[in-house]
Amino acid sequence: MRKLLAVLLVLLMVFSFSSCSKEEKAEATSTTSTGTEVEASKEEVKDALKLGMVTDSGTIDDRSFNQGTWEGVARAAEELGLECTYLRPSGTTTTDYLTAISDLYDQGYRFIACPGYLFAEAVAQAQQMYEDLMIIIIDDALAAGIGDNTVAITFRENEAGFLAGIATALKLSEGEVGFVGGLEIPSVQKFNWGFQQGVTYANENLGTNVTMNANNFVYSGSFADLALGQQLATAMYDAGVDAIFAAAGGTGVGVINEAKNRRLSGEDVWAIGVDVDQYSVGDMGNGESCILTSAMKDVAGVAYDQATAAANGTYEGGRHIELGIAEDRAGIPATNPNLTPEIEAQVAEVVKLIKAGTVTVQATGDGLIK
Amino acid sequence: MKSKVANKPLEARKASPLLVSLSAVFLGIVAGAILIAMIGKNPIAGFDRIIFGALSNVRRVGNTLGMSTQLILIGLSVAFAFKTGLFNIGASGQMLMGGITGSILAYYLPLSMPRPLYLLIIILSSGLVGALWGFISGFLKAKFNVHEVVSTIMLNWTAYWLVYDWIQRFIVDPTIVVKSKPIEQAHTLRAGWLTDITNFSTLNYGFFLAVIACVIIWFILDKTTVGFRLKAVGSNRFCAEYAGIKVNRSIMISMAVAGALAGLAGLTYYCGYSNIMEMGKMPNEGFDGIAVALLGNCSPVGVFFSAIFFGILKMGRGSLAATGIPTEIADTIIATIIYFTATNVILANFWNGRFKKSFERKEEAIAIALSNQGRSGEDISSLSKEERRNLVKLGMPELKEKRKNEKNNKEAK
Repeated sequence: MRKLLAVLLVLLMVFSFSSCSKEEKAEATSTTSTGTEVEASKEEVKDALKLGMVTDSGTIDDRSFNQGTWEGVARAAEELGLECTYLRPSGTTTTDYLTAISDLYDQGYRFIACPGYLFAEAVAQAQQMYEDLMIIIIDDALAAGIGDNTVAITFRENEAGFLAGIATALKLSEGEVGFVGGLEIPSVQKFNWGFQQGVTYANENLGTNVTMNANNFVYSGSFADLALGQQLATAMYDAGVDAIFAAAGGTGVGVINEAKNRRLSGEDVWAIGVDVDQYSVGDMGNGESCILTSAMKDVAGVAYDQATAAANGTYEGGRHIELGIAEDRAGIPATNPNLTPEIEAQVAEVVKLIKAGTVTVQATGDGLIK
Repeated sequence: MKSKVANKPLEARKASPLLVSLSAVFLGIVAGAILIAMIGKNPIAGFDRIIFGALSNVRRVGNTLGMSTQLILIGLSVAFAFKTGLFNIGASGQMLMGGITGSILAYYLPLSMPRPLYLLIIILSSGLVGALWGFISGFLKAKFNVHEVVSTIMLNWTAYWLVYDWIQRFIVDPTIVVKSKPIEQAHTLRAGWLTDITNFSTLNYGFFLAVIACVIIWFILDKTTVGFRLKAVGSNRFCAEYAGIKVNRSIMISMAVAGALAGLAGLTYYCGYSNIMEMGKMPNEGFDGIAVALLGNCSPVGVFFSAIFFGILKMGRGSLAATGIPTEIADTIIATIIYFTATNVILANFWNGRFKKSFERKEEAIAIALSNQGRSGEDISSLSKEERRNLVKLGMPELKEKRKNEKNNKEAK
């Protein structure tokens, strides 16, 4: 036992020394590479902005919101040569979020990205506690008041849903579509409403004949229930639905899995992804995917924009930004292997019409299913 | 008549629970340091960050105490059941029940109520509902011999889904439908003056509640006949039964008290530390409590300090992660320490072995010294402490010499 302890301690010392020397080496190389600018860059590094992010209930590799935001922040940090990190809070209450934000702030982070409406209360409190903190919240308009250094970002999900609806209708040309949502919250509802309008638009203007049945538009009540998603998808596909728009996080992955299984056994069914390009989520292992297209909002893009602005001193706090097709921050992916070039061209036409203002997508549920 | 027995037989020292716990913590920290070193960071800087995150200013100290509050109560709950030989793995469920009781009352009781009366009502009712939840397990164990591990786990899920339903039914937040409506500050356990002196920390009245609970539990266990009966059942229920102790009643009392403590933990967590309840979330604290109780050797004082220790780790992990050491590593460090506390038997054996060896050596040295002085037949236990110490000093060099020769002889062969 004594020997074991001794061995452990020796190991500890060896490791700590090796790690120290590694750091030193890295520093040494960096100083030589910058050459003459050493002095200047050192000065800058002292005051350089540190970019931080706090994850919501999901993990950093959720292929959705957290991952998107992190990619944006990390890209900005890499391009500008800044330090960046993310924190996973110990829980999902306001207290936990606020603690995580404080932890980053006390380590010198003055830009923090918070993805998700769950942060609303924590951000509202943090903006009062830390006046020199540039903090952004994605997916919530902070109805209670936006602080001088806060930027609240929301998307026009209805426009992304609209394009996905058109693309789906064109691909099917005849058939039926369904929708599986997570919680019945505005950002998910807008996806749904936009999708329905898109299908209707295609039916009226582009000669398709796709039907929608109110029974096949469902909010599952959860973003993390894989099994429930799969059950809902099974019921819908059995009822004759050809494509399901899955706007439900982890529950949506259940839908995608069911679509995958059915495609592999020869059925011609599709799933439509959400938030980010989910083509890879639907990968069936044979180079094909069951994801027809995805209704995207460019979370990574806005996180990148804001982080860069913060670093360059062009950050403008105290406002609410709403982004959509006009700003190129919502839509379908640039490449859709499951769509024909003709369909992509038709969708691009509609994008132009929306930008020109001749076509508008309503952001309310008036006259639509749910 | 309490004179000390002068000539009690001498024997090797036993490892004290404190020593065992401290060595578990030490080993856990060493293991954590190795982990940090392996990802290429400096372990000392890492632990410095943990201390910084937990204790560097008033707000952080307040947050640490706020975090420790529910750990103390849950730890007490698990420890109390342990004393009666019961394994309360259902602290999470009891916590949820206590929390939902407090939350519903906070939502429906009028804000105009006098604060002391209000606090008294929510504390009593959360404790009672928690006690009821624990009592069910105790009752099942006593009457139908259903093992408490099984029944408490079942009740965890019963509480989980009840809370899931009740949040929606009674206290839902209309804007975000997955959690309860935030409780007004005046209806939480937070106190304006505590928040002010600790600069917006999470410290609340719950901490005092936890301290009082520690004292009460210590009193019950060590100073009352009820406590004695409970402990007797814990050490050997058949022996206790033979001695005329009502075992079944003791089991039910023990589980009810454990449930009440966990229920209070739920109140401090959901209506003090936090101000919302989320649907579909089992609180981890219920399981952390088992580690707290183990590390604290199931004594109220031990639980108090081990809960503070875990509070420090939990609050410090954020700062640790902010330096670029992934949060997952911070969690692994906590888990490693928990693991070492759980294997405390090995540590106790290790120390007992060492103490035994050193005791035998001393014994031998004394024997040598005595025979040198020509007093070889004398009984060691009749000597005073001072004398023994001197004799050890006298005999030790010779003993060392002897050992060395033995070793050399062995090698020569």
